[in-house]
Amino acid sequence: MQIVVKDLNYTYSARTPFERHALKGVNLTIEEGDFLGIIGHTGSGKSTFIMHLNGLYKLQSGEIDVFDIKLVPDKKKKSDLRRLRGTVGMVFQYPEYQLFEDTVAKDVAFGPKNMGLDKDEVDRRVKRAIELVGLDYDEIKDRAPFELSGGQKRRVAIAGIIAMQPKVLILDEPTAGLDPYGKEQILSLITHLKKECSPTVIVISHDVDEITRFANRIVVFNDGKIMFDLPMNELFRHADELHSVGLEIPRAVRIAKMLKDRGIELEGDIVSLDDLLRAIVAAYNKKHIDKTVEENINFNAFDFGVPGACGREEGER
Amino acid sequence: MAISAIKLENVSFSYPANEGEEHKAVDGVSLEVEEGTFVALVGHNGSGKSTLAKLLNGLLLPTSGRVLVYGVDTADDKKIYDVRSSVGMVFQNPDNQMIATNVEDDIAFGPENLGVPREEIIRRVDWALEKVGMSEFRNATPFKMSGGQKQRLAIAGVLAIRPRVMVLDESTAMLDPKGRDEVMRVVKQLNKEEKMTVVHITHYMDEALDADRLVVMNDGRIVLDGKPEDVFAEHELLTKIKLGVPCVTQLAVTLNKAGMEIDPRITDEEALVEGLCRLL
Repeated sequence: MQIVVKDLNYTYSARTPFERHALKGVNLTIEEGDFLGIIGHTGSGKSTFIMHLNGLYKLQSGEIDVFDIKLVPDKKKKSDLRRLRGTVGMVFQYPEYQLFEDTVAKDVAFGPKNMGLDKDEVDRRVKRAIELVGLDYDEIKDRAPFELSGGQKRRVAIAGIIAMQPKVLILDEPTAGLDPYGKEQILSLITHLKKECSPTVIVISHDVDEITRFANRIVVFNDGKIMFDLPMNELFRHADELHSVGLEIPRAVRIAKMLKDRGIELEGDIVSLDDLLRAIVAAYNKKHIDKTVEENINFNAFDFGVPGACGREEGER
Repeated sequence: MAISAIKLENVSFSYPANEGEEHKAVDGVSLEVEEGTFVALVGHNGSGKSTLAKLLNGLLLPTSGRVLVYGVDTADDKKIYDVRSSVGMVFQNPDNQMIATNVEDDIAFGPENLGVPREEIIRRVDWALEKVGMSEFRNATPFKMSGGQKQRLAIAGVLAIRPRVMVLDESTAMLDPKGRDEVMRVVKQLNKEEKMTVVHITHYMDEALDADRLVVMNDGRIVLDGKPEDVFAEHELLTKIKLGVPCVTQLAVTLNKAGMEIDPRITDEEALVEGLCRLL
């Protein structure tokens, strides 16, 4: 299964003085199981692009095929939007602003209910979704979403999408505005969800360092076009070009380059902070044969103790 | 002797609770900020840092204790306008702070309300726009601007009141890295050139690096207070209270723990590379 986008163009406010060509002939194939990171600065077209993937924007020209659901620009033929939206789950920026029901369970049930599922199935899905995002179902189901903490609200909002059991999960700036701990929790939650629920995940982020933590493939948008489409481990070769379009270089890449400038060449592809740490340790152990250090270390700002730490409650120590 | 810009004396604050159980958002905080210092105030969500910010210009009044702004008690009804014009606030969401349809009017709103004469308002608007580097946007509309531009505009609006202290309450949280840089540059410049006292509330540890002083809050109390590099040395405590340390420090700490002779107090990339060069 694939998502295939061919020659996608999109123009905002066409034939007005505010006309803006946001997407200019975008071609992209996303494979099932991809963990795709999308970067690009404000106005590069990345948000316009993902809005197309679950039919929020009408196709103006080009072709989109999402797991055999075909979108067509033709006004006479109707695209199967209902099926599309059940297939592609979209978590917007600050999704907690979209909570509206008076209890958490009702809010999470909104999506599956609209899919026309029977009550038992809706209930089952709500319970599972709430548990998947790491909240205690019995404790939280009858509470008002508005009395939860920021991080909890965001997880409830994500649960509302997960309850539709989308095959593809798209998240736009999922960690924006969260404190460091909340950020770590959401990042490990996304990895967890990819494993347990939606095998194909697309994340938009401003933070390259964050993306290097999990994505296996990265797409860089610039000026309405795809500038790069690379496996993660090749990104570091394009540091200068990224810099030239105003994008940050992953910190690990930058530090490796600084070391190289001083004559220290680390081995292997270095993109994430984990890569960097391991390469440093390997270089150290090579030189200090008598006094080696642990090779398998991770960059971990918070030691959660358990893998997929999303299961832990806020407030817990 | 340095002038005390803000002084908190054993300040506590509780929000009205539903079921009688009181939760102190700020719990017995004493803090003195000298004029001209750049203070970073960090804490995780719910640590009380934003409540503290609102206590600084009388948006909230302490349940107990006193807040003094240049010696004036914020609880003094008659002097609340003095307090508010001494302490300017910039909030998180730039969209919530724009009130006019063009830039000029938006910045003039503050001084207009204070009854500043027209010529002086025009001077202040020019000056404020120049300070935030947005003079060419004088007649533009705020609504089509980037987050960073809007937030600089919000700062200009506060500047036009000519406050002596500027409080930024997570003003960079919603911005992209570029916008964050723009805003931080402007604020640092104001601190240097105008000797503006700055209280910058953030949860980005990297933004706290350049502050003169770093105050860490947890559960409504101040748990650490000192020079950033000294505060970051307490990485275990900082991790425990869910804040962590700046990325570079975390790298140094991790390598140090693994057994390499790297100073875990490193805060900048240069120093880390320097240290690694000696080992590799």
